[in-house]
This record gives sequence, C-alpha cells and structure tokens, in this order.
Amino acid sequence: MQTSRKVGSSSIKAYVLLTGVLCLFIGPLIWMLSTMLKTKTETYRFPPTVIPEEITFDAFQRLFTVQPLMWKWIGNSVLIAVAVAVGTVISSSIAAYGFARFENRYKNALFLVVLTTLMIPASVMIIPSFVLFVKLNWINTWAPLIVPAWLGGAYYIFLFRQFFMSIPLELDEATFLDGGGRWTVFQKIIMPLSKPVIITVLIFSFVYAWLDFLGPFLYLKSNELFTLSVGLQLLIGQTGQDFPALAAGAFISILPIAVIYFFAQRYIVEGVVLTGSKG
Amino acid sequence: MNRLGKFEDAKFFLFILPWMIGFTVFFLIPFVTAVYYAFTDARIPGAADLNFVGLDNFTALFNDRIFGKAILNTLFFVFVGVPVVTCGMLLLAMLLNADVKGIALFRTFYYLPTLVPIVATVIIWRLVFNSEFGILNAILGTFGIAKISWLGEAWSIKPVIVLLQVWISGSGVLIFLAALKGVPKHLYEAAEIDGAGKLRRFFSVTLPMISPAILFVLVIQTMYNFQMFTEALLLAEGGPNYASYTYVYDIYKTAFTELKYGMAMAQSMILFAMILVVTLALLKSSNRFVYYEGEKRG
Repeated sequence: MQTSRKVGSSSIKAYVLLTGVLCLFIGPLIWMLSTMLKTKTETYRFPPTVIPEEITFDAFQRLFTVQPLMWKWIGNSVLIAVAVAVGTVISSSIAAYGFARFENRYKNALFLVVLTTLMIPASVMIIPSFVLFVKLNWINTWAPLIVPAWLGGAYYIFLFRQFFMSIPLELDEATFLDGGGRWTVFQKIIMPLSKPVIITVLIFSFVYAWLDFLGPFLYLKSNELFTLSVGLQLLIGQTGQDFPALAAGAFISILPIAVIYFFAQRYIVEGVVLTGSKG
Repeated sequence: MNRLGKFEDAKFFLFILPWMIGFTVFFLIPFVTAVYYAFTDARIPGAADLNFVGLDNFTALFNDRIFGKAILNTLFFVFVGVPVVTCGMLLLAMLLNADVKGIALFRTFYYLPTLVPIVATVIIWRLVFNSEFGILNAILGTFGIAKISWLGEAWSIKPVIVLLQVWISGSGVLIFLAALKGVPKHLYEAAEIDGAGKLRRFFSVTLPMISPAILFVLVIQTMYNFQMFTEALLLAEGGPNYASYTYVYDIYKTAFTELKYGMAMAQSMILFAMILVVTLALLKSSNRFVYYEGEKRG
C-alpha cells in the first residue's frame, strides 16, 4: 500500500501474521496427511501425535480392499469430468460466437436471458430437474451430469463472448472477402486465437464437474456408476472409524485438482476474478 | 452486413441452437412444470393421478413446525453467516494484499482448501473436530478446556458450518484481492498527506473503492447461504435436534423421503421468491453504500 516495499519490522509483522493464519488454513490439510500415514491404533491415541511415529501406507491398501470399487469410481469421475469439459468448450464457444458476432434484433434480449439464468438459484431447480430426468428415464445414468454440459453453460458462454469480442472484426471481414462463411471464421480464425479462454473453460468445467457432489448424489443409484465423491460418502458410512483410510480417500479426491491447480493456477484465478469484475 | 446474405438470422439461431435447446429442456420446461406441480398433490414424478389442490401446499407449510425451524436456521446462515464469511474474506484479502516477498506462494496455499471436494472437506473436518481423537480438542486440552462434541451439540453445529465456509472462501478472497489491487495508490498517498491514520484510510478510501466487489460478494454469498444444504447434510445430517436442518434440506426430505413432489415444488417456489426479494432489497439498498468511480453522487 506504500510506494516503497515495506522493510524491517512491518514486513516481519506481515510474515508472522501471514504464517500464523496460514497454519489455521493449511492445518486441517496437514492433519489429513498426518492421519493418512498413521497406523489405525495411533489415531486412537490421546493426546494425538502430529508427526506419525511410524509412517505407513497401509491405509491405502485397506481403502482399496474395503471398497474394491475405488478404482472404478476414480475412473467414472475422470470420464464424466472430461466429457463435461469437452462438451462445455464446444457448445459454449459456438453459442458465444453467435452472441458476439451477429447483429439482429433478437440478440440482446436472448443474451439477457442467458445472464438471467446465471442468477437463478440452483437449488430451486433441484426437484424440477429431478422430475424431468425421471420422465426422460435418465435416473441412474450419467446423462443428467453430461448432456446439459453439451448444450451450453451460461457462465461459459459469457466468458467466451467476452473474449471473442476482443478479437478485431477486421479478421472476420477479411475471411468473408476470401469467400469464407461464418463457420469458417469461427473455426479457422476465432477458435485458434482463443486458446487462453479455451484453457480457462476446460480447466474450470473439469474442476467443477470433479467437485460436484449433489448431482451424482441425487441421480446415481447403483454403486458401479458412482463418482468418487459419492463413493467416499458411502465409505464414511461403511468404515467411519478407520480414520487413516478415510483420510486416504479424501487425499485421493483432492489430488487431481491440486495437481491441476499447481500447474494452471493462473487460469483458475482468472476465471474466478472474471466473475467478480462484470459488476 | 448485407453481403453476408439473407440467411444471417437463420445462421444466428443455428449458432445459438445448442444453448436454446439446453435452456428450453433443462430450464424452461422444468420451471414451468414446477409452477404447475406446486398446486397439485403429486406424489410420484410424472404421475398421472394427481389432483389440483389450489393453495393447500402453501397453507400446509405454514402449519408445519419443522418447516418454521428450517426457515429460522436458514435465516441464521443468511443474516449471521453471510456477514461473518464476507468479513472473513475481506480480512484475508487484506492480509494477502501485503506487499512482501513470497506473497504469491502464500496466496497459492490459502486458496487450496477452496478446491477440496466437499466430501473430502467433511472427512477432514470430522477428523479435526472429532471429540475424542480430533486435533482441535487436543489443542484446547493443553489449555485445560474439556473435550467438546463440536458436531454433536445443537449450539455449536451452525458456527462450525460457518467456520467451514470461511475455510473454503477462497473465491471471494480472490475477488476482494483483485478489487484491492485496483485501488489507485495516489488516493492512499493523498489521504496520508492529509494526516489520515490507518483506520481512517481503510474506511474512507479502501471501503468505498471496493464497494462494488463487496456488493457482488454479498449477493453471491446471500444466494448461496439461502441454499445451504450439502454441508449440513454431510456434516450433521440436519442435526443434532434439527439445529442444521435448513430450508433446502426440508425440500430434499419432502421430495425424497416423504415423496410429496407437489409440496416440494411449492417449497422451491417459495425459496425462489425469498431469494429474489432479499437479493433485490440488497441491490436496491446498494446505491447507499456502493461507489462507482466516475459516477456523480446525488
């Protein structure tokens, strides 16, 4: 907040505060790692140990033995998240091109509808959507989780449109003069120039599909179809007192997101901040 | 645009067709059906033998004592939870706005809990807050505080859930952080020259300058907390003694346990109306506290 970098005592104060509060935020995650590496008996000890006396990976073995479907659930989660991410990028970018580049009297009104759906609380739609999926015979399939993503997401249409509008119109016009049509422009000009926003949307929609709990929880009934999140929820009931195994399960569900985050932090931060900057 | 031909409008609709189908099938149709169902006694989704019951669903709700409790619990999360979480986000953002070396690394780790899947979050919180073997009671024990059953007491479950919300509030923190960075430095310098202290600078410069971000976060968080459900379900199953039984939890129970779909739709409509009213009130009152640069103040 000052013109020069803070030096001396105020800088030290900032570090002390930052580290102290960071411990509170990272503490629970460290406790998870610590629990995961302990033996079952060590977790029942009081006072508890933070650094395990004997580091063991037995928890993972127990986890996969108690619940042989673990691998299946991990695979299901990956498949669904990939299908959602790919579908979101394709459908939302196509719709966004329509909203970004055409001039007609319907465009603005329809885009307002897109923005309005963003403001509708999701839980108002839980029961109505469930009834719809029952009628479509989609309960206990992945269709309710994947198909909507292939038909455009309001927030992602908004993101794509913002980006497309920053691409100079002259590029479109040059293509039209060369005899190219709208689809050529979209495919050959707009999309190749939109790599940053494509990556943002890919990552964002993948992460949100992975984090989704309520959808799979409501729509999936047979264990073989579960995602990792819903499977873990089942596991809490099955092996609630095996703390290391539960911690190991939590760790596995965090791992892919954490890896993506550490490699592509910029895109995630951008996507979040963009939601706040339209106001 | 004439040279593009006369099918321009048709092409426009072709491009937005995916969204049009998605909007109609997954939004418009369910929504309209829901409004219709809300006035019926439907018990199975898609049932043919349903009767039109007028406002019965709505009047029945207000005679239900558990429903009243669910509303009160939800209002706690809205009127206590939202301010606490928003203040937490702002304090964290100010902390992470410190101009020191290595701050980027701190920001990275502060955001991490936000990306933890909710079931994993709940597992972690059960480990930390476990009354017998949890680390929290162990730490408190060294100060001579007796073991507390954090997830098993009616008085503590709501604060614990709000605390969980602060733990995963990274997205709001990022939005505040971006807003804080957008405050022009010369304003602070001018205020400092005028002799304004730290506190004065915060209230007279920082707060007004980031007020649009505050409004945005308040609106999003209010909408979210009105819909509080997953955390309450996974952490405490609505208990103990209905202390975390929220409005959306009640909708869930009505539909999936009692199989009263008509009733559940009526509840969904009321929820929609409540969120709409509170959000509009918030937006309406915002012109008193939100400052947009370049705007004339009347």
